[in-house]
Amino acid sequence: MKRLCISVALAAAAMTLGASSGCGRTSPDSSGRNGTASGAPAAQENAYAALAKLPDWSGVWEPARLARPNAEEGPPAPPKLTPEYAAQYAAYQEKNRTTPGINFVSNVANCIPSGLPGSMLQPYPIEFLFTPGRVTINIETYSLVRRIYTDGSPLPEEPDPSYQGTSIGRWEGDTLVVETLGILPETSPLAGINGHSDQLRITERIRLVEPDLLEIATTREDPAVFLEPYTTIARYQRHRDWKIMEYVCAQNNRDSVDEHGNPGFDLERTPGE
Amino acid sequence: MKVQNLIRASLVCLAVSLIGAPVIAHHSTAMFEWGKEKSVSGTVDKWEWTQPHTFVWINVPGRGGKVEQWGFEGMSPSWLGRRGWSLKTLAKGDKVKVDYYALRDGRNGGFFVRVILPDGRAIEALPQRSQ
Repeated sequence: MKRLCISVALAAAAMTLGASSGCGRTSPDSSGRNGTASGAPAAQENAYAALAKLPDWSGVWEPARLARPNAEEGPPAPPKLTPEYAAQYAAYQEKNRTTPGINFVSNVANCIPSGLPGSMLQPYPIEFLFTPGRVTINIETYSLVRRIYTDGSPLPEEPDPSYQGTSIGRWEGDTLVVETLGILPETSPLAGINGHSDQLRITERIRLVEPDLLEIATTREDPAVFLEPYTTIARYQRHRDWKIMEYVCAQNNRDSVDEHGNPGFDLERTPGE
Repeated sequence: MKVQNLIRASLVCLAVSLIGAPVIAHHSTAMFEWGKEKSVSGTVDKWEWTQPHTFVWINVPGRGGKVEQWGFEGMSPSWLGRRGWSLKTLAKGDKVKVDYYALRDGRNGGFFVRVILPDGRAIEALPQRSQ
């Protein structure tokens, strides 16, 4: 049944993004003899040709918890937290117990985008683009972009804080290992926890575990929040025929959240408008 | 035609129970009685195919002939658009039945689970578990 559903999802059109085949540049002479004195065209051609050796992550990736919810495993072991954050996390669990439904403590209902790693765990898909020296991740939810530098440059010591932080990556075989620092301290490192220190470090190990199933193991480290590194695993189902859509949260947002995490819902409207 | 086929196939695939855990993108579901379905029938006033959520606004005959406006939030075009829904699924004037999870505060609205179209077809609007 699952396969049937997946084939239904794949039924529309055949569109393949060629991460490994669509980037090649043509030039009259691959040796670069017809290029400039600096040899730049040949270097560029080689850089693009090298992308063909990377694993095929083309297409669009949907969180597997939506694509095939029956296959999902149970929740991960609870995090080991410092007292301050343990209290916050316990209050969140208690609120979910007494008010059924998911209670978010972060600001996303007000259209403030998720920071890393929450941005990677939204219900809508992501895609990967390979260019020389860089992997780009486009996240549909909130139309976010992550730029992961794979050119060997180091992480800056004090990057300007941002929602997605500053990332570098390296290939270990067919696994992309991404390290990120400089994530804004007001973002949520884990559902139920709002805020962290400027020391939050995220390490992601991204690899294919089946031809159309991608796995991301995400490790969170922050001495202010976590007593030990905390790793969760998320899986993503490939849809070769999907395209990433535009997502502008402010277009028609009638949801909100107050400073206590209580949700609001605006139903004001003039009929007939 | 293709859209109708997809809708039909989706219904075959997804025929059964709803996922317990909410999966909507960016906000709490605690303001809804999540998992407890109610129904209301009315006439579509507006269908909003927008991020971060779709909305269907319907006019419902109330007591004493007064028309009441009901509003229902739905999954986003990001989710619905990949499962047979579109900007043209609903139009002003359509007579529909909306199955929904009600707002806890008693206002006329909630989160729509499925919509029964004028021709009797039911279109699902939330992820479901196959069994």
